[in-house]
Amino acid sequence: MPLYSSEHRRLTEFYHPEKHEEFSGLLSSLGEYMEKELSPLSPRFDTGEAKMGPARKGLLGQGICQISVPAEYGGLGLPFSLYANAIEMLGTSDASTALSVEIHNAVIEGLLKFGSPAQKKESVQALASGERLASFCLTEPTSGSDSRAMATSAVRDGGDYVIDGSKMFITNAGEADTYMVFARTAKGPSCLLVGAPNPGLKFGADIRKLGMRGSRTSEVSFSGCRTPAANLVGEEGKGADYAHSILHGARIVVAALNVGIARLAYEKSIAYAKERKAFGEPIAGFQLIREKIADMKTSISAARLLYLHAALLRERGLDYASEASQAKVFATEMSLKVCDDAIQIHGGYGYTTDDLHRHWRDARLLTIGEGTSEVLRMLIASRELAKSL
Amino acid sequence: MRIAVCVKHAVDEAELKAGSDGAPVLAGAACKMSTFDKNAVEEALRLKSAHSGEVVAVTAGPADARRTLKEALAMGADRGVIVGTDAPSADTSRTAGLLAAAVRKAGPFDLVICSEGSSDTYSGQVPPMLAEALGVPYVGYARKLQVDGSVARAERLLEDSVEEVEAPVPLVVSVVSEINEPRYPTLIQIMQASKKQVEEYSQDQLGVPTRPASVRVTHMAMQTSNRKRVTVEGSPEEAASRLVQALEREGVL
Repeated sequence: MPLYSSEHRRLTEFYHPEKHEEFSGLLSSLGEYMEKELSPLSPRFDTGEAKMGPARKGLLGQGICQISVPAEYGGLGLPFSLYANAIEMLGTSDASTALSVEIHNAVIEGLLKFGSPAQKKESVQALASGERLASFCLTEPTSGSDSRAMATSAVRDGGDYVIDGSKMFITNAGEADTYMVFARTAKGPSCLLVGAPNPGLKFGADIRKLGMRGSRTSEVSFSGCRTPAANLVGEEGKGADYAHSILHGARIVVAALNVGIARLAYEKSIAYAKERKAFGEPIAGFQLIREKIADMKTSISAARLLYLHAALLRERGLDYASEASQAKVFATEMSLKVCDDAIQIHGGYGYTTDDLHRHWRDARLLTIGEGTSEVLRMLIASRELAKSL
Repeated sequence: MRIAVCVKHAVDEAELKAGSDGAPVLAGAACKMSTFDKNAVEEALRLKSAHSGEVVAVTAGPADARRTLKEALAMGADRGVIVGTDAPSADTSRTAGLLAAAVRKAGPFDLVICSEGSSDTYSGQVPPMLAEALGVPYVGYARKLQVDGSVARAERLLEDSVEEVEAPVPLVVSVVSEINEPRYPTLIQIMQASKKQVEEYSQDQLGVPTRPASVRVTHMAMQTSNRKRVTVEGSPEEAASRLVQALEREGVL
């Protein structure tokens, strides 16, 4: 089935009735590119036999991160839901690339929202076109969900800020050209851009992970790392608010990414269930397998609608923080279950085949990364409890 | 160099489904640019970048064929020409006649590039008929093409040999898919393609009289292949010998 499937086409038609042909044309072309240039490499990124960098560069060059960027910054100025849909396809094509691209795009989003006109002009076009790669540095070795507890400091010294401290589990570390760094100034958590290379910027070894093995993750340390004061994004002391705002948008995309992972595991399961025989007939004929297939499909469809709903709220300028969190909690936990069912359907082959259990390993990250399920449930519940009935 | 490249809005064979009578359901079937035509467009664009000039994408087909022209424009063609027709694609002499008239009207051209055949019906008849209608030489199945001044040189990929030929321009060349790797248009190029000029010629404007189709498709059937789905298991050594046994049982070894 093509990455941009007839189901996607129908949803595009429903959500964007006036421009669906144009939008579907763009997304199906992007999907074809991924299928040809990226999908065949995906199993090799997982085993480390191939490096993802060149394929990511090619994909960014196609314009995936230009989709929802305004035309004045070299973008296409299209609805955010199309970008989310593109990341869903990318999640199916290669989850590691999707993770890397999604983080890169979160920095673009942050600059568009909070950057100065000069920063936008200087960076957004180059990042959106893939000429430069970005990394988002928030988590620290001793602070994750409690990001306001960050210890990394940025001290004003003449025309520069001097950053000291370290950031942990940073995607695209060592590969990126632009680092969006959250550090504590005299006024509190603040957001700064650091260009690489920089003598005060060091990267740890690539951290071996359960999944998402194609994407590079390491510690980023700052030691007397100077960045010009003009690289302060927005105002001092507002960094934590900016980070939360950026992450709300990214959660829609992470949900889409997980729908993409689940879809691939599901499609492999369908193919296997039709082929594998037990007791003289394909296992797809057995009720307990059929129940799994039905539940996998239903939950994938539901998660897709949740992320699209949050994306549409965002496109219309409405509050979407709770809906984005709902989409992320549901989609990430859903994809874990779907990938687990896929292993079960494949039996011993599921447990022993990299190219099958990697989907579960990839999906496992995202109930943790970019807002744990626990923190997001707190957010959803506090929003709901604050409403008067 | 002025190059016309002929493209077909072909049925997307990957999306084709069989009806209850076993015939492919063509009414409402998804269509896209014929796969090999992308090689023809790519070759035209490469020659243009080497020699400068203009690439014009030409198609004969229903209004929906504008989408295929748009694909060619997104890849980099400068403008498009469509001849509206509902003539069946099996009527290849009709298609070639319409394309020839359109190429004449939109021209003159030094080179007309086609693919070896379309990815849906694959008759391969239109390119030579087009050359005949234009009264110019035809070089078929090129896997390599270059133009030096007024001479085109090509390597023709034949069944068991490669033939090197040269011919004076203007001429019609059909290319095989080995000739190049078609580029993917970026999303921005796809959006910008909508702004490029597409001219529509009616059959009247071209002075091509309508006539009944010379060829009529009387029946079409999908080929079915039933796979046996034999799974060979075991260690590589065991699996290899079981595979050999299975192939021997089938009489293929």
